[in-house]
Amino acid sequence: MVPLHGRLSTRLWAGLATPGTVWLVALFVVPVYAILAVAFGNIDPILRTTAPEWNPLLWDFGPFRMILDRILDPDDLGAVFIRTGLFALAALAGCCLIGYPVAYFVARTAHRSRGLLLALLVLPFWISYLMRMLAWVNLLQTDGYINRLLGWLQLPSNRNWLDGDWPTVVIGLVYGYVPFFILPLYAALERLDVRWLEAARDLGATPVWTFLRVTLPLSIPGLLAASVIVVLPMCGDYFTNSYLTGGSPRTEMVGNQIEQFLRGSSQPQSGASLVIILMLLLVVLMAYYLVTIARSQREASA
Amino acid sequence: MPGSRRRFLAQSIGFGTMFAAGVPLLGACGGDSASGKRVTKAIKDGLSPEAGPLRVFNFADYVNPDVVAKFEEQYGVKVEITTFDVDAEAISKLASGAVEVDVHHSCAPATLSRLIDGGLLQPLNPSYLTNRGNVLSAFDDPWYDPGSTYTVPYTVYSSGIGYRADRIDPAEIEERGWDIIWDARFKGVTSILDDYREGISLALLRRGITDINTTDVDLIEQASADLQELVDLVNVKVNITGYTDVPEGATTLAHTWSGDMLAGAASYLPEGTDASVLGWWFPKDSKGPVGNDCMAVTSNASNPVLAHLYINFLLDAAIAEENWYWNGYLPPIEGLDAAYLVGQGLTPPNLESAVLTDDIIKNGLTYRPLDLETDQVWEAAWSRFTAG
Repeated sequence: MVPLHGRLSTRLWAGLATPGTVWLVALFVVPVYAILAVAFGNIDPILRTTAPEWNPLLWDFGPFRMILDRILDPDDLGAVFIRTGLFALAALAGCCLIGYPVAYFVARTAHRSRGLLLALLVLPFWISYLMRMLAWVNLLQTDGYINRLLGWLQLPSNRNWLDGDWPTVVIGLVYGYVPFFILPLYAALERLDVRWLEAARDLGATPVWTFLRVTLPLSIPGLLAASVIVVLPMCGDYFTNSYLTGGSPRTEMVGNQIEQFLRGSSQPQSGASLVIILMLLLVVLMAYYLVTIARSQREASA
Repeated sequence: MPGSRRRFLAQSIGFGTMFAAGVPLLGACGGDSASGKRVTKAIKDGLSPEAGPLRVFNFADYVNPDVVAKFEEQYGVKVEITTFDVDAEAISKLASGAVEVDVHHSCAPATLSRLIDGGLLQPLNPSYLTNRGNVLSAFDDPWYDPGSTYTVPYTVYSSGIGYRADRIDPAEIEERGWDIIWDARFKGVTSILDDYREGISLALLRRGITDINTTDVDLIEQASADLQELVDLVNVKVNITGYTDVPEGATTLAHTWSGDMLAGAASYLPEGTDASVLGWWFPKDSKGPVGNDCMAVTSNASNPVLAHLYINFLLDAAIAEENWYWNGYLPPIEGLDAAYLVGQGLTPPNLESAVLTDDIIKNGLTYRPLDLETDQVWEAAWSRFTAG
């Protein structure tokens, strides 16, 4: 039998979890169910506004199937999904290249200036994402500062960055999301036990070898967490692309198609279906992350 | 209308918040139980205006604040403007009761029947609209509102091609018309309107099909394929920023709205660039898209008399001109024609054709409501094009 104080403490913890549970239900479960109700629901015949179907027994899967067919067609929405995935991967690579050294420096090297550096990393969030993208439009214009800088460096400087090319979208995504990448990675690197590094050094490992064999493997959970945090929103991003390419179909992402269908079209079901499919794909990513984390924790405790 | 120069930024910001808040799901939460009593009869004659505040529903930055201030001063009331980003959002919010207003400032003819059939508007009482006679006769009995029962027009515009006259010979555009958009010489500097009705219609018109409300699936699919050709041929951009892109020179050829070129000439030319670099093309036989926005009183207005007076105020010729100068979109008011605007120096002579004539308004092509199934075919065809 569980002692009385044990039962009380169980109840206490359950009670303390209530606000979190309510939060989760109100802001996750209900909206997700609402998306399902829209995707499998109807349209008001007069107003053409969405008429969600809350009863799962009456759900109509027709529009969902139609969208699925279009996604399976590599010349249609399939191309948009592949493009979005490639953009997110390229931007993730960019985040790793820029973010890892910064996170490493802040966590391991900068002792006195750490607070200031962290504050500087958070600073861009004070300005709206939209404004920051508009600033990039100015920087990337044919006669903008980026081309002027390239000219000054004797590099080709007449590139039209805003002509609907993928590198510009990737640059925008990296810029927009890199702080989200650095912060969790910083937290992971900062927690790294210095004694591991000292042991490696004592055993004769060079700094590079220590990094490759000790620091990098130990920071993989942090890297994964940071990657998940940036890749999930990147896959749904639509602002970056709209602003930095002047609306070129060559760089259309899934988020743009969702916007198109949900922004007052006669088939919000298609938009909601796209949301569901994107969500399912991202759940797979999330599951991989959780499995990896669980495995590394088991290994750590073994 | 689907969007405009000033509205672009506001729309984008607005949509960010709308997306986050799940506005498409608003209807889901609100149901159809709109609050407030709805009336289906026009108000009686000779009533005195209410104390206000008058609540107006409009696109952001689509009415001159000075004009609104003058109305407030004249009638001693406050005007509160609530904004929406896209037409469908306005309908959804009015229907769900999420927004309660007296005046719907910018209804679109193609979707007006939804508002009327949905019981969201009340008939107007013409006795309060003493300036109604100022409106062009072309709007006496508009197709979307027989007998002008529910609405008066607010602005008119056409869809055509805005271009840089210093880079293309106007005579060439005159000869080739819509087909100039498919010219590989202008790769990277060509844009088309980000609107499925406008975009698909552009491709239809280029093939000489003037039925811009077609239900023929083959024609719609052909139009989609023609648009898809533009992706590689001219690296086309799909946006509503022609009003800045053409004056600034980033775009040479823009499928855009007439109001955008007039506004571009007035406000967006870089210093040292003369308005003569801008050009406007619309079919000489007037067989191109023509649209208008209109004003109406909601069926649950709590200030219906004041709402009528507000609409009437905007129909005053001097007020309409003052509003046009700020807004860029022309009110269909007698006297505010090309001869007057060019004569006053308000419009450059090379853009004279962007000012709609009675003939264009009467003979232009209009976007009519599509049945649900056809609408979805149009939207899917457009989505296939924008998917790249």
